[in-house]
Amino acid sequence: MRRRLKTALRWLVFAVAAFVLNFPVLATLVTSLKTNAEISSNPGLWVFKPTLENYAAVLTVSDRLNIFAYLQNSLVAALIGSIVPIVLCFPMAYAIARREYGQRLFFPLVINLRALPLIIFAIPLYMMYRSLGLLDTQLGLGLILAVVNLPLALLVLVNAINDVPLELEEAARMDGAKLGSVLFRIIVPVCRPALLTVFIFGFITAWNEFLFGLMLTTRDAVPMTVGASFFFASGGGGVQWGVAAAVIVVAALPPMLLGMLMYRRIGGSMMAGAIKG
Amino acid sequence: MRRGRSLENSVLAAPVVLFLLLLLGFPTVLDIIYGFSDVTFETLRNPSFNGLDNFRTVIADDDFWHASWFSLKFGVLTALAECAIGLFLAVYLAPLIRQHPWLLAFLIAPMIVSPAMMGLMYRLVLHEFVGPLPHYLYTWMGDSPAFLSRENVFLTVFTIETLQWTPFALLLLYMAYEAIPLHVREAAAVDGVRPLKRFWYVELPQMLPTLGIAFFIRFIDGFRVFDNIFVLTGSGPGGSTMSLSIYIYEAFFKSGSIGKALAASILLFVTSFLILLLAGRLIRGRAE
Repeated sequence: MRRRLKTALRWLVFAVAAFVLNFPVLATLVTSLKTNAEISSNPGLWVFKPTLENYAAVLTVSDRLNIFAYLQNSLVAALIGSIVPIVLCFPMAYAIARREYGQRLFFPLVINLRALPLIIFAIPLYMMYRSLGLLDTQLGLGLILAVVNLPLALLVLVNAINDVPLELEEAARMDGAKLGSVLFRIIVPVCRPALLTVFIFGFITAWNEFLFGLMLTTRDAVPMTVGASFFFASGGGGVQWGVAAAVIVVAALPPMLLGMLMYRRIGGSMMAGAIKG
Repeated sequence: MRRGRSLENSVLAAPVVLFLLLLLGFPTVLDIIYGFSDVTFETLRNPSFNGLDNFRTVIADDDFWHASWFSLKFGVLTALAECAIGLFLAVYLAPLIRQHPWLLAFLIAPMIVSPAMMGLMYRLVLHEFVGPLPHYLYTWMGDSPAFLSRENVFLTVFTIETLQWTPFALLLLYMAYEAIPLHVREAAAVDGVRPLKRFWYVELPQMLPTLGIAFFIRFIDGFRVFDNIFVLTGSGPGGSTMSLSIYIYEAFFKSGSIGKALAASILLFVTSFLILLLAGRLIRGRAE
């Protein structure tokens, strides 16, 4: 009996915590399904007349707001930002894990990048991008997102390669395989789960990034997070809350879906990142 | 053979090293050049050296010190709150999560939301007329505070940050808790140590390293906060929520004082570097 009571209490604490932590998401989701009239008459967490009109409004392209462009910019920049670090870090991770090359200086230096305030680099990057013509381009945004993702990518890949049994590699070497084919035929396939983790985690981080999107884009390459904030700048008649809520839901959906599919994996890699970082 | 290897190593390292030199090394050089120069958007190509003038301007600027104090306070307090609540939830809910691992998905969901989107959500949630929170407070309590007024705004942004990132501490600490060797727990149980005492004297010491790491990561992220505060309050009201990151952003984009913004960046860089060095020493010292 006492045991049951204790378990019930735990469920209660869980329910309250989950509700409080997810309250803003829940409230936004509910609001996005309300008509304008209902939003002002009933701000609570219940919808009496659910409607999809806000989503229809979000998807309508205007001169000022084009959600498809924002989504596309975010997609391209996040893909660059999540794939480039993998391609760049993989060979280095091999050198670090197998040959202790760059382990003393380069590795800790890159890992510590994660802890630096990004704004430090934002202003000189702005000036550099301006002269290179990378300002307000998907490529420019993607490249800096790649820098953001680099430390965790390197860390997870080094750990993953460390876990590959040395015998696998030696057997191939005996057969006369060159380094390149060892990397692609043996290490890559074995590390596939780690590569996937790095990719998904990097994609979410890049998609969610705001600061560089705000500073390095103005019109053509505006990502979804920055574009969403435009819906809150009232264009004359005050903020349309239903539409604003719907746009947040659209912006938050891709990382949410990816994250929900992968939540265990993300937990594991975060743990790795935290302990070594 | 040896020679071949070292060439191979260089080839393996080259892509990432070159990439970082280009995207971070070059900006750092620019940081330093312009930080010591008198420069505007018109004179970007021929800045004139002015020594420590920019640094003097920053150090004499009250706003800079306010922003530093805000960031420090924000970082420390949010990290403390996140670790405390995260620790409680992780340990108290552990038996439940062990049986139903999917519960964890609900608890860590906020981490997957972009902080900027989270800030925007609170613009709605806290809104006087259309926000659910003031609505319920009016209905049940008859009154609702002005969440974004000068007096309350720190508490508001503190709470927002804490609610979004407590899941991070929770996740880390739950994993550390589950990683405590079974025999340690059983030994304590056999000795008939009461749960609370067992937690304090047996389990907590085992989790201390993770607790330290969680605090450090959360402090760093809180210290450099930008997104959620920027979309929610800008830096207001009256600069009361201006973090260091926002200070630098505003110096550059709003007032165009490039030299000042960069001098502040360099100071921030040096400070962060020293903190990291110190933390690294501490962690290594513990390990040895």
